[in-house]
Amino acid sequence: MHIFRRALIIACVASLAAFGVAACGSDDSSGGGGGSGGDITVNATSFPDYIDPQLSYTVEGWEVLWNVYTPLLTYRHARGKEGTEVVPALAEALPDISPDGKTYKLKLRPNMKYSDGTPIKASDFTYAIQRLFKTDSGGSVFYNVIAGATEYADGAADTITGITTDDATGDITIQLTEPNGTFDNLLGLMFAAPIPQSTPLDADATNNPPPASGPFMFTTVDAPRTLTMERNPQFQTVKDAGADEVADAGVDKITLIENKNQSAQVTDIMQNKVDFMMDPVPSDRLQEVKSRYSDRFRMEDSINTYYMFMNTERAPFNDVRVRQAINYAIDPEALNRIFGGRLHPTQQVLPPGMPGYQEYKLYPGPDMDKARALIAEANPADRDITVWTDDEPDRKRIGEYYHDLLTQLGFNATLKVIAGDVYWTTVGNQSTPDVDTGFADWFQDFPHPDDFFRPLLHGDSILPTNGNNLSRANIAENNAKMDELVTKQITDEGVEQQYADLDRAYMEQAVWAPYGNEQFTTFLSERMDFDKSYHHLLFKQDFTSFALK
Amino acid sequence: MVAVPEAPPGVPESQVQGRNPWYLAWLRLRRNKVALGCGLLFVLIVAVCLAAPLWADYVAHTGPNDNHITDTVLIDGVETDIVAPDGTPLGPGLRGRYLLGADQNGRDVMVRLLYGGRTSIYIGLAAAAVTTVLAVVVALLAGYYRGWIDAVLSRVLDVIWAFPVLLLGIALGTALAIGGLKLGVIAIAGDSIWIPILIIGLVYVPYMARPLRGEILALREKEFVEAAVAQGMGPLRIMVGELLPNIVSTIIVFFTLNIANNMLLESALSFLGAGVRPPNASWGTMIADGYQMIYTAPHLTIVPGLMIVVTVLSLNVFGDGLRDALDPKARIRIEANDAGRH
Amino acid sequence: MARFIARRLLGMVAVLFAISVIVFLIFNVVPNSDPAARIAGKNADPDLIARVNADLGLDQPLPVQYVTMMKQIFTGQLTSYASNRNVVEQIWEGLPATFSLCIGAAVIWMSLAVLFGYLSAVHAGRFADRALTVLSLVGISMPVFWLAAILLYFLSFKVQLFPTGSYVDLTEDPLDWAYHLVLPWFTLAVLFIGFYSRVLRSNMLDAMNEDYVRTARAKGLSERQVRIRHVLRNSMIPIVTLFGLDFGMVVGGGAILTETVYNLPGVGLYAGEAIRSLDLPPLMAVTMFGAFFIVLFNTVVDVAYAVLDPRIRLGEAAPA
Repeated sequence: MHIFRRALIIACVASLAAFGVAACGSDDSSGGGGGSGGDITVNATSFPDYIDPQLSYTVEGWEVLWNVYTPLLTYRHARGKEGTEVVPALAEALPDISPDGKTYKLKLRPNMKYSDGTPIKASDFTYAIQRLFKTDSGGSVFYNVIAGATEYADGAADTITGITTDDATGDITIQLTEPNGTFDNLLGLMFAAPIPQSTPLDADATNNPPPASGPFMFTTVDAPRTLTMERNPQFQTVKDAGADEVADAGVDKITLIENKNQSAQVTDIMQNKVDFMMDPVPSDRLQEVKSRYSDRFRMEDSINTYYMFMNTERAPFNDVRVRQAINYAIDPEALNRIFGGRLHPTQQVLPPGMPGYQEYKLYPGPDMDKARALIAEANPADRDITVWTDDEPDRKRIGEYYHDLLTQLGFNATLKVIAGDVYWTTVGNQSTPDVDTGFADWFQDFPHPDDFFRPLLHGDSILPTNGNNLSRANIAENNAKMDELVTKQITDEGVEQQYADLDRAYMEQAVWAPYGNEQFTTFLSERMDFDKSYHHLLFKQDFTSFALK
Repeated sequence: MVAVPEAPPGVPESQVQGRNPWYLAWLRLRRNKVALGCGLLFVLIVAVCLAAPLWADYVAHTGPNDNHITDTVLIDGVETDIVAPDGTPLGPGLRGRYLLGADQNGRDVMVRLLYGGRTSIYIGLAAAAVTTVLAVVVALLAGYYRGWIDAVLSRVLDVIWAFPVLLLGIALGTALAIGGLKLGVIAIAGDSIWIPILIIGLVYVPYMARPLRGEILALREKEFVEAAVAQGMGPLRIMVGELLPNIVSTIIVFFTLNIANNMLLESALSFLGAGVRPPNASWGTMIADGYQMIYTAPHLTIVPGLMIVVTVLSLNVFGDGLRDALDPKARIRIEANDAGRH
Repeated sequence: MARFIARRLLGMVAVLFAISVIVFLIFNVVPNSDPAARIAGKNADPDLIARVNADLGLDQPLPVQYVTMMKQIFTGQLTSYASNRNVVEQIWEGLPATFSLCIGAAVIWMSLAVLFGYLSAVHAGRFADRALTVLSLVGISMPVFWLAAILLYFLSFKVQLFPTGSYVDLTEDPLDWAYHLVLPWFTLAVLFIGFYSRVLRSNMLDAMNEDYVRTARAKGLSERQVRIRHVLRNSMIPIVTLFGLDFGMVVGGGAILTETVYNLPGVGLYAGEAIRSLDLPPLMAVTMFGAFFIVLFNTVVDVAYAVLDPRIRLGEAAPA
């Protein structure tokens, strides 16, 4: 690069940095005025499940916690596919992976502090992973791949032998039991965010959240009604240590208030009483918002798949022709209308935005005649089908549509609507009778195809309870392929294409009837800077992108 | 409330003597045009709802659960979407198909309204029957035997009474929806209509049983019962032959009013998702479904609710009229009061 | 007297005990409400679930679990399965909204019911009476939640007269608190106004023909004085006792629908959520709370009757 240009660039970057630092350090909390600052209010229909990085396992939880607790690695704060890239956060660089893929070496940046002034130590990472197991967190399953983890979890060991740290140098070494291409992703999740060792080891910290390592910290938590987040004064220590990928706050204070009435939330944003709603705009207000407030509303992509699972171990869905018939019969446009126009049609396992996604249609339709022909060919003796769905209004309607569809195809269908909180554990329980087919969705935990295939379609995921492999798919060669691919890195040659082939292999067997990817919405009040704020593919709305005009 | 052969105003004394008290009650009821009108209104509503299959087959050409999300219908020569691409359903209009518009699944609201009415009214009647049978049995046993039988039965009534009605209804409704009810030989499926019927029937037993028990206790002291016992009549004959006929008028009135309460409770349970199971329609589930769309399609909420109000109102007015006809003393007081003023 | 009260109190405890056992059984007999599976999260493996089961004490025999749960309720340590929060605290926090709603509605329904009932009785048989009767009957024929939805739609969305439904604390801003509660109060009151005004009307009509009223008239009191001092006062007694029972019911769980539609963060709303998620701890606590109120008011009413009418104390036929 030309010397002159290099100097100019350095000068620009330096001055921008100075400006940024000055703006961040200012006490400007009076709102507006072109800089950063101000107080905003946010609504949610569900309060985050836990205000605890090791325990939270919902979209609402992660959306709120992402910018409060910083893990060793994080995801780029960018929209679209860029945001799925794993970058260093509290660690100096991406991990050094040994050739056999089983040893990960990282170094913690020096001189960083939590919001209460406690220094951030390397052993805090080990503590966080230990907490995962001792609090019986749902996320602990991902980290079983760390050597010594299961022994620790069962109480056979006092520490996790696979993690060694040195607080003086900041070195962290992690031993895995086998190579795992998703591990970088796992290090970027909230589950692995270091917290001070004064946090209780085996109890939920929601009522007294641990001190923050991100741009925001929690100042009050009044679960499940409201919480407030304010700028973390110690975040500067993290920035100074070189963590450029961790974004800074754009407002001084965010107040989150729970409001069960989604329509009321929409009205409040229209009247500028509330600045942002975490849930999508409900279908019956969508048209109104789209037409009258297009300057502060947009649809957002998200990585998820909506599908009907079909139990391949029971008649009539044990016949591939019946399953293919369903794929021909389902009309994604009808389901899209039920969702108020927010479902992007699909017939793939993986959603767009996920590495390995390739668009194609094995079962072009909707084609009721073809479906009926296939069913006539298969001629199943057992025509009783129980359809399951949960009781959220959209999903209940989807269930009713599917029930009617099956009836029109000549089956004797019964619909069972189950309360949302217990739906998954009910259909995922092998002792529940008559689980033939029903509603399912899956939102990514991290942007790696294994997160879709393994829990949903691997033979080992057929569990007595809490199973997510609702179709009970157990195709040996696909299982083997999955196990082989996970040991490689996604960036290795040909890995993405092989995942795409795996998708196709499953759809040829029609283990699912996928029909859509749900889109979310961003709707902001007038005083928010609409262009600055963006929707991250994993953590939804990036709270650091909130700023007043 | 024992029917006494008082002469209704305007009926000559000669006609009254020796007349069956029921006939006199009927004369009184006949004079109450409003109550009679409401009774007929209720019968009319029931008849129209029973005719639901006729409407579905010949006018609307669709069933109550048939989805038509991506279909179109011909209106004034133009092919119109039944459900628009953004999810907004067709509104009401003067036509055979979709007279009251469509819901979000593209189903014909009028057809669902009629079928839903059948379900709601059926549940109201059946549950009232359940409540009445249980209440009468409990009241007779408790009132006749008194003592420890009364104590136990009253405690049971207290427990049911103290249980917050909605909580009990929802708890049972949700709990039984998944697996259904299995009591020895009897097995009821989770989505059977008998689950809400039994629950609603059970919940209102104390409301009817207690007043009836009170009446039986009072009647128990009268001489004719003593006489029956002296004659050597067994308990069953006394309960059924002597006591029961004297509370029949109370039972009739309570039964009528109970149907109204049952319909209201069913709509509340269905609204909360613990009553009639989808995809079946009842007026309560229709309100719940319509509520999601209240801003863009308010008729989906307003119409089924209005049907409930009209039906329940007609039952209440008719029930009142029945009570007045069967217990004339209150009426006479009104007339005497009037006379005193002029 | 003391024995009577003692017996009633014992009866109260017995009823509450029976209710707690019934709730516990309903939810332990229902399949698939396994809390450990739910808490362990969507990806759990059998080991994790087993650990959760042990931690929550769910592998103990049922009677042991029951006793533990009841102990936790009374010591305020019960936590919900679904959200890991302290149940008793949540009920406590829900009380202001529920009481605001119920007491306010009660004041409105009693005042209006007495007014309408009085007017109806005084003008019995004439137009005012008929009109009020129609209104009352319509009032008791409406599903509460439907009325709430309609009111919200017309008075809060079409015409923005009232707020969309939420709760403002009394201590924050009394005027705003009342403003937010006007629609909920009215909704809850409508049903009872109808019922009570008709009961008062029929009681007053019965009373107007009693001997003591004729005596009062003979003494030379004006019609008005007769009505209010004698007739109304005596007719109120059954009303007050009915009120006791109904108020208990409303607080005990009758407000679920109103709180749900208007999004008031009270005990009723909390109960609704707990039931839908088949979450046993809050469900048990809320049911006990509700039943307690109902039984308490029931007992107070019974004791009051016993004080007024000695025959009841001595075990004769209870009034119908």
